Amino acid sequence: MHDFAALEARGVVAAFCASTEFVDASAAQARALGYREVPAVFVPHPIQDRTDDETRALADAALDAVLAAVTTGGPAR
Amino acid sequence: MIVLDPTDESASAHREAIARPATLDGARVGLLDISKPRGDVFLDRLEALLAQRGVAVRRYVKPTFAKPMPPDLRREIAAECDVVISALAD
Amino acid sequence: MPDFPRDGVVAVVKRDCPTCRLVEPVLAQLAGVVVYSQDDPAFPPGARDDTDLAASLALGVETVPTLVRFAAGAEVARTEGWLRPAWEELTGVDGLGAGLPEHRPGCGSRTQDPELADELLVRSRGHTLASRAVELTALEDEAEALFDRGWSDGLPVVAPTQARVLRMLDGTSRAPDEVVAVVPPNLVPVTVEKVAVNAVLAGCRPEYLPVVLAAVEAACTDEFNAHGLLATTWGAGPAIVVNGPVAAEIGLNSGGNALGQGTRANSTIGRALQLVIRNVGGGRPGGVDRATLGHPGKTGFCFAEDEAGSPWEPLSVSRGVAPGVSAVTVFAAEGPRGIADQISRTPDSLARSLAAGLRTVAHPKLVMGFDATLVVCPEHARVFAAAGWSRADLEGALAEALTLDPAEIVRGAGGIEEGVPAARATAPLPKFRPGGLMIVHAGGGAGMFSAVIGGWVGGAAGSTPVTREVRP
Repeated sequence: MHDFAALEARGVVAAFCASTEFVDASAAQARALGYREVPAVFVPHPIQDRTDDETRALADAALDAVLAAVTTGGPAR
Repeated sequence: MIVLDPTDESASAHREAIARPATLDGARVGLLDISKPRGDVFLDRLEALLAQRGVAVRRYVKPTFAKPMPPDLRREIAAECDVVISALAD
Repeated sequence: MPDFPRDGVVAVVKRDCPTCRLVEPVLAQLAGVVVYSQDDPAFPPGARDDTDLAASLALGVETVPTLVRFAAGAEVARTEGWLRPAWEELTGVDGLGAGLPEHRPGCGSRTQDPELADELLVRSRGHTLASRAVELTALEDEAEALFDRGWSDGLPVVAPTQARVLRMLDGTSRAPDEVVAVVPPNLVPVTVEKVAVNAVLAGCRPEYLPVVLAAVEAACTDEFNAHGLLATTWGAGPAIVVNGPVAAEIGLNSGGNALGQGTRANSTIGRALQLVIRNVGGGRPGGVDRATLGHPGKTGFCFAEDEAGSPWEPLSVSRGVAPGVSAVTVFAAEGPRGIADQISRTPDSLARSLAAGLRTVAHPKLVMGFDATLVVCPEHARVFAAAGWSRADLEGALAEALTLDPAEIVRGAGGIEEGVPAARATAPLPKFRPGGLMIVHAGGGAGMFSAVIGGWVGGAAGSTPVTREVRP
């Protein structure tokens, strides 16, 4: 969240991907920094014990949400 | 600290994320690995998926997920990117 | 509202005050007096706790001890400090304080304590403020937070706390909810309070507020056309010249470096106007503000005319304001550019020099489009004064020198494609439209350097300077 705020303050459109375990923590941190909500993409917990294929599948599933978090016009072509 | 809103109050009183571009066409996109396990695999795949859509990315790695990124990295990213996606916190 | 007796006597004291301690036996002698203690509920025994100062504020206590008599729910008598006859008269009890001196002055009420001033100000008058209260979180740096919310022009701003805004509002007698103007480009009605919030952001002192309010009024008129000025790709912005006694009262600079940095009133009044246009009107660079280049004075541009040293009547008087009345004139302004003439000793020569500088406004070959302001410095004004030239004489001489030969300004002339179309370049043409050149006197005593301030398109299609009186 601090990185998010620091980058956005410098004019860089930022978003972060995190596991669903992080939903409450990121919301609390966002509020503490004055945001009501921030562009985040949550992927199903857990992460660290996933196989490479499982992790790549998470990325496949997250792609549209990632694009939606950093653009207004939907998926890039 | 409480301050009074100097605006016409039509916008939210909260901080808002800055305006998003319509698409990533022409945008300089960065992927930031926050150095948690599996983040690199996730971002490798994201890079490939974006490449299929014609979006090239630059990759960055933060020394540790436990602290905000160091000023040098912040400057580097701010100078080189319009959009940054970081991963993968858990 | 504290629970004061409908009929009876109230005393307000604090232990920290020697006079209050002196009269403790007197208060003990006066059965039925309700005593409020500002600092120690145990002093005197049986006192009501007024450490939050609610009763003291409700009574408007300035000194302790204060004794107030109520009858039928209304205050009918009050005395401050210790004065035996006054206490005896107010309480109707004789023989008070045997052995005490006849008189002892009181001490300052805690409500007057400078450390509590802000808190008490907000507590007593904060409810009168209508602007949305925004809470900055503990993790936000105060200065950064104000940038992050987009409230700044790029320089640091002063946090508009409730106490600061309330103090700012003390700078005017106008009601906080009075609508001052409708601010372009979004056409948002702006109240005195909202102007005050932006004046705090800009760094103004309360006594500047009447000038800021007048400038906002002037800038938000149809004639000034702040929307057009903002939206044009031309880089001019609003500038303010102040006339009348208010200028000296608030320390506006009309002398050395009048157009430069270093004087708080000059720097912050113009900035407050621009912040109102930005924050209330929504006029922001990259948004409605489409300036190709802009100029540094768009952060804020305000100065006073040097009336005392001027050979001419004040600009405001020329523009219809009564002598001795303070006024602002808002005009479209680029950055100022100097015109050096250290040789001319006749008014005719000097006028031609100044005209040569004015000719370059927008482009030396373009006429009748852009307005301009000429700031005549004291050493140049002296030449005109010595020759007995009025402002109108100078205007006439400038107009004559700026009646341009069509052969010089027609498109293509001088190898420059820009210029007046051949169809219009059939007779001598005036550089400026009638009323398109404003002359102001300002600057330091040394230096034969006047300044040209280019404007923008003048008249109905563009922006016309607007003068408004400064109301207290």
